[in-house]
Amino acid sequence: MSPERAAQLRADCSVDTDGRITFRLPPPSAAHPRLLLVLRPKKGRPEETTHTLDLEPFGDDGEVRAVLEPRLQLAEGRWDAYLLRGPDAGRERLRPGLRDLRALVDGGPGDRPSPVAVRVPYATKDGFLAMRTWLRAAHAEAGPLDVTGATMTVRARLHGAGLSEGAVVTLRLRGDTGTVRTFPAQPSGGRAFSCAVACEELAVEAAGTRFWDAFVRPAADAPLIRIGRLLDDVADRKGVFVYPQVTAGGSAIRPYFTVDNDLAVEVTALG
Amino acid sequence: MKISFLIHNAYGIGGTITTTFNLAGALAERHDVEIVSVLRHREHPNLTPHPGVRLRALVDLRREKDHPLHSRPAKVFPSAEYRHHQYSELTDQRIAECLEATDADVVIGTRPGLNVHLALQAPRRVIRVGQEHLTLDNHSPALRTALRRAYRRLDVLTTVTEADAACYRRKMRLPGVRVEALPNSVPDPVLPAADGTAKVVIAAGRLVPVKRYDLIIEAFARVVAEYPDWQLRIYGKGEEQDRLRARIETLGLWNNVFLMGAATPMEAEWVKGSIGAAASNFEPFGMTIVEAMRCGLPVVSTDCPYGPGEIIKDGEDGRLVPVGDDRAFGAALLDLVRDDERRRRMGRAALDNARRFAPGPVVAQAERLLQEAIEARDGGQRPTSAPGGTHHTLRTQGYAARDLAHAAAAGALRTVRKGRR
Repeated sequence: MSPERAAQLRADCSVDTDGRITFRLPPPSAAHPRLLLVLRPKKGRPEETTHTLDLEPFGDDGEVRAVLEPRLQLAEGRWDAYLLRGPDAGRERLRPGLRDLRALVDGGPGDRPSPVAVRVPYATKDGFLAMRTWLRAAHAEAGPLDVTGATMTVRARLHGAGLSEGAVVTLRLRGDTGTVRTFPAQPSGGRAFSCAVACEELAVEAAGTRFWDAFVRPAADAPLIRIGRLLDDVADRKGVFVYPQVTAGGSAIRPYFTVDNDLAVEVTALG
Repeated sequence: MKISFLIHNAYGIGGTITTTFNLAGALAERHDVEIVSVLRHREHPNLTPHPGVRLRALVDLRREKDHPLHSRPAKVFPSAEYRHHQYSELTDQRIAECLEATDADVVIGTRPGLNVHLALQAPRRVIRVGQEHLTLDNHSPALRTALRRAYRRLDVLTTVTEADAACYRRKMRLPGVRVEALPNSVPDPVLPAADGTAKVVIAAGRLVPVKRYDLIIEAFARVVAEYPDWQLRIYGKGEEQDRLRARIETLGLWNNVFLMGAATPMEAEWVKGSIGAAASNFEPFGMTIVEAMRCGLPVVSTDCPYGPGEIIKDGEDGRLVPVGDDRAFGAALLDLVRDDERRRRMGRAALDNARRFAPGPVVAQAERLLQEAIEARDGGQRPTSAPGGTHHTLRTQGYAARDLAHAAAAGALRTVRKGRR
């Protein structure tokens, strides 16, 4: 396969309101082409998890389609997309064509059952087609985040879990799970809540930068649920949703989304 | 016809690249088309050219960045041209060789400096078409002087708006050069059009000061004050990024205004919105306005020179507001945000009205232009037996004479062209 030919292998995809993803390819000159999804392993680990979909002819122009049904649960991570032309053929990595993700933009249904499964097709930095997936027993979807003086207020909504009296937001120091700060979560109707975080309590003394990861504990004995923002069309949020910096307790404090679209707070002691 | 486009760098991002790929792709349906990129800095272009279009580069910066000739300033490429610093004796030489060796019937330059190369160096058998994607009034006097001298040797000069074509006709003496507006074309969208329900305003382009994204952000603050569930997405990257980010922060709009980064192609992004926004102080054409309209979005734009007013019908398929007026811009956005039915109606009108920028009509016009230029030139050759000697003089004699000769030559034309192939 010449690089030129490989570069032409583009797949369009579209997502419908149910979360069904349809991949479409131009005629691939193969009798039984399939679409291969490979979960990207951790660095240095072998690929273990794959999923294969049949590419069926559709319409008169030879286009082939594969459908990823919403009920199918895929492990959380990043899946790279390949074309398999036949049982013994090597895999050919696909480039993204048009990704019609408009059905995802408004965040979808208000209450999602457990587990919360999210899939967002995206283009990798080096220009290939991939799919970002999340699979969580429960999820707290972050909404608008307000910063007033040294207080930041996060609004969020639970999916796959209920909210009870005594719910708290917990910030956990990364790399030191014993250090936590908790703040009361105020219910704001249904499974929505808001929480005011006094930034001063997140200040650090040691030089360098530390990170707090944000969770909600929806009831006294319930497990922690990660707060993040997963429910729209933005696969990589970190550089797009950018929040202002607050100075408090001798530290520069800035909420942000991690590379996994989870909410965290970056804290740097001011020398 | 064999048609060759000469472009600065087909591997980058920008309106000229997009529109050249579009036009080349559409012409390739019936003609032999290549794109010659003077520079190349990466393996693959950002846009995939039509499979029928050949793409080649003259200077590959990945290998030839340190070529001794590349450190010496260009002499043919005019020093007053915006991109002169990226040109060199090496590009002078390679472009000259390329033009000398070309077997194309028509060579189309896509920026002033390349049009100059074409005018001075293309063999006489070739029809020389200069395209101006910028505007005459925005060129420096020095560049205008250089162009005035060289452009006389073109056969055809195309601008992207009628307004700019009128400027060239009025302000430059270009006897015998056919000056005509040829708008940029935008391919037929593949995806279903936007349905006007998304609470998203979209703007796209390079993040540079002239595009006034700051004004769109300022205006959008008025929308957010009344409709906090609406968002503004700005696609593109550029030098203004940090300033825009700071402005978003100062106005407290981080929950509503997003700098999305560059997206290619934009089509799948436009359809996520229901209103397009463009606030340039100056816009030679307004490619993104047409793109948005072709995806079914009414566009709110400043009525800046020259493009927007030739694209948008105010109140019918979009809105035109005074340049630099964020209040008026905000009010125009709010009118569309507030009124779902009006927004959808204008979106449908945008879809219909923007069809005139589809490749079909634009390419038909381009083909007619090129064909007529060939016929006019061949017609001009007929009365003399001298091979090409008086050709240039004849060519500058204006359209009336040419058309006359054309009429007389109609019969002989086919033979002449066959001979050249």
